[in-house]
Amino acid sequence: MRIKILIAVLLLGAGLVLLPLENWVRAERTRLKYGGARVSIQLREAIGQNLAIALLAGMRGIVADFMWINGHDYWEKKEWLRQYRNIEVVAALQPQAVMFWDLGQWHMAWNIGYGVLSDPKNRTKAEGLKREHEWHEKAREFLERGIENIPNRYDLYFTMGWLYYEKLSKDCDQPPCHEAFCKAAEYFGKAASFPDAPQFVTRFYPRALEKCGQTRAAYEEWKRLWFLDHSKVAQSWNIIEREIRELENQLQIPNDERLFPPPLP
Amino acid sequence: MTNAAAVPAPSSSHDRVGFSLNRVSVIGVNTLTEAIRQKVFIFLLLVGLVFIGSAIFFSQYSLGEQEQLKVIKDTCLGVISVISTLIAIVGTAQLLPSEVENRTIYTILAKPVRRFEFLLGKFYGSVLLLVLSMAAMCLMFGAVLWIKEQSMIRELSQTYLGETQAATEQANQQIEQVRIAVLDVNMVKAVLTDLVKAMLVASVTLLVSTFSTSLVFNVAVPFMIYMAGMLRGTAVEMWSSHRLAMAVLAIVPDFGLFSLADDINLGNLVPWAHVDQVIVYGLARMVVIVVAAHLIFSRREI
Repeated sequence: MRIKILIAVLLLGAGLVLLPLENWVRAERTRLKYGGARVSIQLREAIGQNLAIALLAGMRGIVADFMWINGHDYWEKKEWLRQYRNIEVVAALQPQAVMFWDLGQWHMAWNIGYGVLSDPKNRTKAEGLKREHEWHEKAREFLERGIENIPNRYDLYFTMGWLYYEKLSKDCDQPPCHEAFCKAAEYFGKAASFPDAPQFVTRFYPRALEKCGQTRAAYEEWKRLWFLDHSKVAQSWNIIEREIRELENQLQIPNDERLFPPPLP
Repeated sequence: MTNAAAVPAPSSSHDRVGFSLNRVSVIGVNTLTEAIRQKVFIFLLLVGLVFIGSAIFFSQYSLGEQEQLKVIKDTCLGVISVISTLIAIVGTAQLLPSEVENRTIYTILAKPVRRFEFLLGKFYGSVLLLVLSMAAMCLMFGAVLWIKEQSMIRELSQTYLGETQAATEQANQQIEQVRIAVLDVNMVKAVLTDLVKAMLVASVTLLVSTFSTSLVFNVAVPFMIYMAGMLRGTAVEMWSSHRLAMAVLAIVPDFGLFSLADDINLGNLVPWAHVDQVIVYGLARMVVIVVAAHLIFSRREI
């Protein structure tokens, strides 16, 4: 009996001694945003019993991937609400996965949006447009949560910019819908500020500024890009040159101030 | 006529023999040899290798190249984690009961071998088995990644074949990105923490097998402790205000802390300092559990 008590005390004591280290590691995991949604009854109901067991066994990544692959079925069958719920659960399982937020919003704004717009059950065209707008909004709200979870990478800022640029800009009643393009420029600018952002991201910022109505600011940004070291920065310089030439004409910049003055007659 | 006083008093092997790492090593290697011959081990390892190999086919159900790489890495690291845990439980659960059942334990302990050496040797053999099986699975994982990398590079090269110089440069950039994504050295951290987790599971199984002779019990109880350990983080969050519950929970190791593979695959920053702390935590728990196993085994009537 004495030995049983001794062992119980040993195991409990060691557990208590190691508690500060354990709590520290756990706090570190929270700080570094490891893991995902806590295993709860709601989550178990959403993913089913088999996947819940896999989740408990520590196979969070596989469960999320499996559910994501399953989601394609809903897409093919046009079961939009099921697909939406599936995307939400997958994103909750792995909130640090850029891929799920990025492709999730793409499904909502592009695929589901078009699906409901062209739904033959719509009584009027306006109803289809309204439903499409609702999905664009859902995508925006979804992506906002994605950015909250992954604020330190350029990807989702660019995706949000693209959503505003391509989809939300078409939702306003009075074109040219500067507001959406200004928001797009804001997100593209943020994405471009990351040092690892690809060069095409930096080109979208002045493009959106131009559509936002800030043509002069767009011109200045194109010029800033042009003055980067051509030997060190990999960039499509011919595109930047073309844009600068167009804006110099559009803004009627005096020849002596132009970067690319027209050839003398 | 014999002189009773001249006969030395019988003493146990403990009094005569000091601790020897060499003996521990010999028992460990012998345990490994026996374990490798077990059909259960071979079956589990084969299942693991087949699953890892088939990850390349699972990945084809997803759309993009990056998705496919994620699916491959998730599947392979997940399988390595689960199979190594199962090998730790099944491989260790029968070590002591089979020695007792076959009566080989009497022959060994009759020799100048301490019980602690015997126990440690068995555990060492179990750890060797884990290292060996994980090395085999990692090799398979590496081969799968290499095949995928080559196919992705081939596809990219074909896509941009005969295109402009700018397109070729873009293709080269993408190929470089693929290489970086495939050869992610951070995956070593995931495998290391998985190994320590499997070793901890093996130590728990060893502890259970020191007082139980039933194989089913020796397999079921560590498995339940493992599942409880995976849920410990959630339980701690829920019951943080209940001191008694927290004290009871302290007995169970938090196996959830070892799950780093998902975060590494997602490109999250996983510093070595964090990995070191997780490993230290696992090793500290393991030492205590092996000592507890020794306390039981040293007093067990054999």
